[in-house]
Amino acid sequence: MIPTLLGITIMVFAISRIAPGDPVSLSMGPGGQLDAARAADVRKARMALYGLDKPIPVQYAKWLGRVVRLDFGDSLKHHRPVIDIIKERLPITLTLNLIAFVLIYVIALPVGVLAAVKHKKLFDRFSSVILFMLWSLPSMWVGQMMIGYLCGPTFENWFPPAGLSSNYADQLAFFPWLWDRLWHLVLPVLCLTYSGFAYLAKQVRAGMLDNLRADYVRTARAKGLSNAAVVFHHAFRNSVIPVITIMATLLPAMLGGSVIIESIFSVPGMGLLAFEAVTTRDYNVVMAVATIGGVLNLIGLLLGDIAYAIADPRISFEGSEL
Amino acid sequence: MSTKSQVRESWGTSYGQMVWREFFKSRLNTACMIFIIFLFAAAVLAPFLANDKPFVIRIGGQLHFPLFGDLQPNDYCVFLAAIVGFCQLLLVLRNHRRVEPSIRGRVFWRQVSINTVIMVTGIILIFIFVPRRLDATDYKSMVASGKATSAYFAPVPYGYARTDLKSREQPPGREHWLGTDDVGSDVLCRLIHGSRISLSVGFVAVGLSTVIGIIIGAILGYFGGKVDFLGMRVVEIMMAIPTFFLIITIVAFFPRSLFNIMIVIGITSWTEDARFIRAEFFRLRNQDFVQAAVSLGLPLRSILFRHMLPNGIAPVLVNATFGIAGAIFIEAALSFLGFGVAPPMPSWGQMLSLGVSTTGRFLWWLTLFPGMAIFFTVLTYNLVGEALRDAIDPRLRKAA
Repeated sequence: MIPTLLGITIMVFAISRIAPGDPVSLSMGPGGQLDAARAADVRKARMALYGLDKPIPVQYAKWLGRVVRLDFGDSLKHHRPVIDIIKERLPITLTLNLIAFVLIYVIALPVGVLAAVKHKKLFDRFSSVILFMLWSLPSMWVGQMMIGYLCGPTFENWFPPAGLSSNYADQLAFFPWLWDRLWHLVLPVLCLTYSGFAYLAKQVRAGMLDNLRADYVRTARAKGLSNAAVVFHHAFRNSVIPVITIMATLLPAMLGGSVIIESIFSVPGMGLLAFEAVTTRDYNVVMAVATIGGVLNLIGLLLGDIAYAIADPRISFEGSEL
Repeated sequence: MSTKSQVRESWGTSYGQMVWREFFKSRLNTACMIFIIFLFAAAVLAPFLANDKPFVIRIGGQLHFPLFGDLQPNDYCVFLAAIVGFCQLLLVLRNHRRVEPSIRGRVFWRQVSINTVIMVTGIILIFIFVPRRLDATDYKSMVASGKATSAYFAPVPYGYARTDLKSREQPPGREHWLGTDDVGSDVLCRLIHGSRISLSVGFVAVGLSTVIGIIIGAILGYFGGKVDFLGMRVVEIMMAIPTFFLIITIVAFFPRSLFNIMIVIGITSWTEDARFIRAEFFRLRNQDFVQAAVSLGLPLRSILFRHMLPNGIAPVLVNATFGIAGAIFIEAALSFLGFGVAPPMPSWGQMLSLGVSTTGRFLWWLTLFPGMAIFFTVLTYNLVGEALRDAIDPRLRKAA
């Protein structure tokens, strides 16, 4: 865990240092080159100020030391500590992703199970086609189509196209406020959800089919157990285990996907922050977002592992061959 | 007396032929392949399909061929690559009829290396000898004013970089079949030319990631032990960073170009391949033929890539097909967010981002058509990937 964490920071730091150009020449801009001698002096002074004149490993150690204390420096654009900005943005992205995550599982599990039970029947064929198409739908297209057709003046005007709440939201009582917030969340969450649940439902279906063909299921049926008991008590429990590991692969995809979704729907979360930081070359923010994204992801993986161990008592991580 | 056909029958069916037959059993797969061929044809023949220069034009009694004169060095490179690739395909088919199975692999690799040499020298020669031209003559107005006659234009008579501010943001109509964008360029034309970007990013990025993945996975899987332990930590780190964040971070720090996007996607998506190959090599490492190869004293390169790799490549090939879909999607997403190729170059994602204009108007044709292009391409590659997985290795077949 710790080495992986270190590795992530090394990688983020390396990218920022391998890249051509440095923050100082960027912050000085073209005006800095008017008087060459003076510009060189200013440059030197600033390099010393930011500690960029030290050898790279020293720079890394210093940066890491600050990162551990959650000090990512100041944003070059907002002129505020990066961590403050992230504190505002992170909960929004987490809420969005958590809602989407719950929805993914709530939708995917029944669909996958039902498709497997009705193998090669109408529902199975129909849902397979739909799921496959959902899986391949580019989210930016879906997002933009939704904005265009469902929240514009041109066609229907059902949903708000941007943001998390209406302008007057802070004057609302709690329940109207909640309603307003939910109303804003519908489309972004829908966009974040559909490809994930398509993928997950496919996996659930495949796992269920494997298990429904297994000998122990036939035994259970031969014992005279009801269909529901066989499906839910025997087959489903065993197919749920691989589904948990998929959680770990879904999470990074969703975090990445939130960059697209949040910038389409102007949701002020981490994704939009990353997008803005990249377009304005706000290096401190970019590095902070990448590091925190990696850490969040690691936490997700860890949770996946723990859930895995809980779901299947046979699995232990002691002395296992990786 | 044995005739040729009897000899051929004694060869039996090769693995490739079996996969081929299994693959084309389904009509859907055939349709997908046809769509992919269609896409490739559009990408290769883009200058002939959509160009504002006429094939032939008569100016003052003299015949001119502006379209052919205006082809750029990279157009010639695309043609050369397409021809060489097509020849290689024909050679593979020929090998299956003419060459004995035992030496087929060696013959195939010799053909591939010869063709690569031809292609590389050809591309170098093209870039040395074909000049970069810029023909800014407006042939259409010449025809309209009667200065030129008997002009034959491409089916879509617009250039992808030609702007026309008089006809901006026009919905689909007779003039522009799929409408125009914010600077008056024809959408259909830009779609056709955009397929080049998508396909090249898809193939180059996946080629790169597959090569990296195979090499790293092979080394980890073959050596095991400490090498494997350290290597897997690196793979874990790569997997722990959300790929899209990583790509955006890299794109933020490096200058933006098509080449960079290909490399970035390539170096961030090799982890799956490496894990597949590593697992396969773990399985193969102790098998007899590998032990035999080791005891014969063959060089490591030969053991890894000649003896072990052909037995473990199936999952990687399947993954590569999904990878192409993924790379095309990532490129479109990057272009959509504005980190893609620079504007006069057409890219599907960048066209899609114009769907909501700066004034907030929703231009449905600029959203629908590029989006459909991305969707169908990604869908097709995903379908082919699924079909390949079923065809290539029944072991991998998830209860279909």
